[in-house]
Amino acid sequence: MSDSFTFLGMDLIPTVWMLVKILAVFAGVMSLAAVLTWAERKGAALIQDRIGPNRAKIIGNIRLFGIFHLMGDGLKLIFKEDLVPRHVTQSLFWIAPLLAFVPAMMGFAIIPFGQSFEWSGYTLHMSVIDPGNGMGMLYPMAIASLAVYGILTASWASNNKWSMLSGMRGTANMISYEISFSLAVIAVFLQVGAYDPHEIIAAQSGIWNVVRQPLGFLLFFICAFAETNRLPFDFAEGESEIVAGFLTEFSGMKLGLLWLSEYVHMVTVSALMVTLYFGGWQVPFVADPGPLLSFIAFAAKLLFFCWLFIWVRWTLPRFRYDQLMSIGWKVLLPVGFANLLFYAWLIHQGIA
Amino acid sequence: MGVVVKKVDLTWLDRTYLWPIAKGMFITLKHFLKQTLTPTQKRLTVQYPDMKRPVLDGYRGLHELKRNEDNSVKCVACFMCAEACPARCITIEAEEFGDLNMLQGLAEKRPASFQIDMLRCIFCGMCQEACPKDAIWLRKNYELSCQSRAEMQLDKFNLMNTYTEKDGSERVVPEPVLKTSNNQPG
Repeated sequence: MSDSFTFLGMDLIPTVWMLVKILAVFAGVMSLAAVLTWAERKGAALIQDRIGPNRAKIIGNIRLFGIFHLMGDGLKLIFKEDLVPRHVTQSLFWIAPLLAFVPAMMGFAIIPFGQSFEWSGYTLHMSVIDPGNGMGMLYPMAIASLAVYGILTASWASNNKWSMLSGMRGTANMISYEISFSLAVIAVFLQVGAYDPHEIIAAQSGIWNVVRQPLGFLLFFICAFAETNRLPFDFAEGESEIVAGFLTEFSGMKLGLLWLSEYVHMVTVSALMVTLYFGGWQVPFVADPGPLLSFIAFAAKLLFFCWLFIWVRWTLPRFRYDQLMSIGWKVLLPVGFANLLFYAWLIHQGIA
Repeated sequence: MGVVVKKVDLTWLDRTYLWPIAKGMFITLKHFLKQTLTPTQKRLTVQYPDMKRPVLDGYRGLHELKRNEDNSVKCVACFMCAEACPARCITIEAEEFGDLNMLQGLAEKRPASFQIDMLRCIFCGMCQEACPKDAIWLRKNYELSCQSRAEMQLDKFNLMNTYTEKDGSERVVPEPVLKTSNNQPG
């Protein structure tokens, strides 16, 4: 340890590294979520044989496939009149966007986005929360459940029948699929024998978990759509049925935050999927990729799953509510238990 | 009378939802790739201000008052077009003129003013058909937006020059080819 990085006898390197990580993760996830709003519009357009956003340009005639539309969207949302209807519950109406957004951001903290590395005697981990913290992957699962409150608060505060309906539907949706979601993850915990993301990733250095547990991945994947309120399970937001659901009464940047939280959720759940089933930052056939290559691998996998969310959204229609419930409780839950028991039995037999 | 809706019996494969979803995903991927790989010029969407569709023959757009060889107006102020116009948007005032003087009694007729109210015009082409001198044509310019109502009242001078550039050359509007600006995004 060198003496040059101390302040009042404290070691500065871990603090500085922590700040860097927090800023990088915050800025990275935020901007990725913003880019995803553009990717959604453009992807939708291309899937539907349209052109999509391409008119916004800066510095002369630079258009770059319309990516500057997201700046335009952001500016518009910030400067738009923030209309608060008279009939809403004021305090909750103001808190709701934060309640939706903050848990969405928090979930990403545990995800290792690159391989830990040694630097002048320090082991620097590339996840905001260092390994060995005792909560591991239980943390994002717990945080993900908090997202329900954002939607529920927003819909309740709106004091409007459609919004209320949307809140009820969204909550039912998320709560129902939470269980199967967790059951799929528990099977991974059993397999690995740990619930720290670093250990889960280390255990996937040979074969990714998706090969070992294809059914579990499928379960997780389906529930992820329900958890993030994306199509085909976007019951909180069914435009054709309940206007815009819990978003109806919101305007300006409150609406922006609620929207953005959906995309941040997408990023977080994609990161979970990558960590649990696709080897996190592991690069195939490379034993020790190092921080840069591992980060690139992680980012590529993350982007793929984010795109998958968009792709599925513009392919499938929304399920009916009774279909949602029957799939969640009558199919996914038993399958989740069967999957868990099967792997428990395998491990007991010493096969897996 | 009610319509009997036949219930579709799903196979067990369809009941899993997964296989139909995979098929659907494949279809959307195909569309995505096809649209991504198609150059902008060949896509179905014509991006209007940058690209224009060719205008068909017989299109009835903005009027032009044609000229003689010596650049005088062809119109003889016979009022046929004004009579034929179902929208009553043409207003003509006639005047006499001639190389000979009035005493010699040889005078010709021409419009002193020829106004078309473009806000009333329905581009039916009746004036063109009624004209005995082939003096009024409806041509292919369809970009007729203006800042004020007053600008839409075209007079004789405007109508004689609707298809003329500032230097007097013929203005060809619009280009009958798909043209794009050089920085056309996908």
